[in-house]
Amino acid sequence: MSNDAIAITGFVVLFVLMLLRVPVGMAMGLVGVTGYSWIVGPGPALKLVGQTSMRTVTDYTFGVIPMFMLMGAFVSVSGLSREMFRCADAFAGHLRGGLGIATVVACGGFAAICGSSVATAATFAAVAYPEMRRFGYPQSFSTGVIAAGGTLGAMLPPSTVLAVYAILTQQDIGKLFMAGVLPGLLALLMYVLTIALIVRVRPGLLPAGEPRPWRERLAALRLVWAPLALFVFVIGGLYGGFFTPTEAGGVGASGAFILGVLRRTLDRAKTREALLQATRTAAAVFTVLIGALLFGYFLTITQTPQKLTEFLTGLGVGRYGVLALIMLMYLLLGCLMDAMAMIILTVPIIFPVITTLGFDPIWFGVIIVMTVELGLIHPPVGMNVFVIKSVVKDVSFTTIFKGVLPFVATDILRLIILIALPIIALYLPSRMG
Amino acid sequence: MVDATPRPGQGARSAMDRFIDAIEWCAATFVGIVALNIFIAVVLRKFFSTSIPDSYDIGKMLLGTLIFWGIAATSYRGGHITVDLVWAAASPRHKRWIDVFATLVLLFVVTVQTVMLFDKVRVTYVDHVLTYDLNIPTWPFFAVAWLGDVSAVLLIAIRTYRLVFQPQALHDAPQGKVVE
Repeated sequence: MSNDAIAITGFVVLFVLMLLRVPVGMAMGLVGVTGYSWIVGPGPALKLVGQTSMRTVTDYTFGVIPMFMLMGAFVSVSGLSREMFRCADAFAGHLRGGLGIATVVACGGFAAICGSSVATAATFAAVAYPEMRRFGYPQSFSTGVIAAGGTLGAMLPPSTVLAVYAILTQQDIGKLFMAGVLPGLLALLMYVLTIALIVRVRPGLLPAGEPRPWRERLAALRLVWAPLALFVFVIGGLYGGFFTPTEAGGVGASGAFILGVLRRTLDRAKTREALLQATRTAAAVFTVLIGALLFGYFLTITQTPQKLTEFLTGLGVGRYGVLALIMLMYLLLGCLMDAMAMIILTVPIIFPVITTLGFDPIWFGVIIVMTVELGLIHPPVGMNVFVIKSVVKDVSFTTIFKGVLPFVATDILRLIILIALPIIALYLPSRMG
Repeated sequence: MVDATPRPGQGARSAMDRFIDAIEWCAATFVGIVALNIFIAVVLRKFFSTSIPDSYDIGKMLLGTLIFWGIAATSYRGGHITVDLVWAAASPRHKRWIDVFATLVLLFVVTVQTVMLFDKVRVTYVDHVLTYDLNIPTWPFFAVAWLGDVSAVLLIAIRTYRLVFQPQALHDAPQGKVVE
């Protein structure tokens, strides 16, 4: 059997196993080791299992993942989402569509710290949706804005998906985090402008609330300033070279714990919940990372990335044509699997193509994360949409997708802007040491 | 009157659940220790120009420990990253069989990993690998991490048993939990 045939068989088996709900990391590891053993022999292949597993989990750099997850978990269980929403509402609630704007801003703030798009969508479906409905916002808009707001978590630092991309492609995690800042803020701004546009086109659709006195606004601000200051300190420290990414995560997690205890929002049960939540999520991500690295040996030995690069560059569609094809593939895959699985499965194969075509690896990280996040909200299978539906029972999928469509259009426009102007993503990383 | 007589297997289930809780607690404790170690190391270095001896070496070995113990907890709770497209469309009966198949594959892979990791622990012991500052042997750290993988095998075996015989006893981690 030729190496090409082994590679194709490996991919088919991998997809069958994944469709049969075998954990993505385990499926990748199993296929990777079996394929490698087929070509090289079982002895060296099995040796890889022990070595790769231990090397991956004891790599200090990878500690950034559980540490930022722990920071997010502490902040999340401390009740920040409701406080952030109240604060944003106090400042923007009096505008037409103001509750929508408040939801987007609070989602952005919460998602940045929490780091999970799906958790943000689920949380704000419980926190913001009832408020918007109470003030007469339509179901489609209310759910759509939450689904879109949830996606901000993958771009704003500390983003787990960007950290994993950095690990897989051996890029600087700190630079990848910084590369997500301006595109993330652009996303937030464009979502707010989308709401403003909706208000302009259909003035009667979104009502305005009562203006709040400054006393109330300042009181709301007082509840959120400390976690936001911690976030700025940690990310600022990372940008200024004061911390390594892992240290930033460790300091952030410890700071979030201390803040929670001082503000009496973190008790024993919540601490336990946060620790467990962070451990489980980190373990799930590391399992996929180990699997991806084992699968990577199989890819290397079958020369799959090189062959794919030769094939794509030989199509004669130009570098942006190849980029468009890759993004289309990601959009289609977005209907099948979640962002993390997609990135881990495809980046080792696609990345050599991107570097051969002369694209910046940091910029591509931002583009690819934006594309997979689009998959979280675009029909027919948007993970965020399903999560919102599981929290808000009385709304149909069609209604949510209808509400999400203006934001999908905004995302596509943002993607075009970032492809045309890579400096938006690359400016902050270029200023780092 | 409340019937307090335990149903068949109930006592065994409670013991099993306590064992599972203990493993989860171990994993959760390790993540807390790693964060604390990093925090103290940063504070000492930045503000007191000193450091904890072997903070880096111990930190990375604790990280490995937390991940392997975390894999045990995650595997039992069904918290791994999966593709649910076919599963979501399947009937409850087929869902169960898909879950049993997936868990058996998971059990096989983690068992192979555990056997191969033991070899790594053995080699570390034989080679007498030491930490940088304090020259502490590293094999006990690797052994504790390996025990996490052993726990994962045990928990996945329990999960498989429960999937087949006591599906009501499983409490899988929900996707997209609300965290206010």
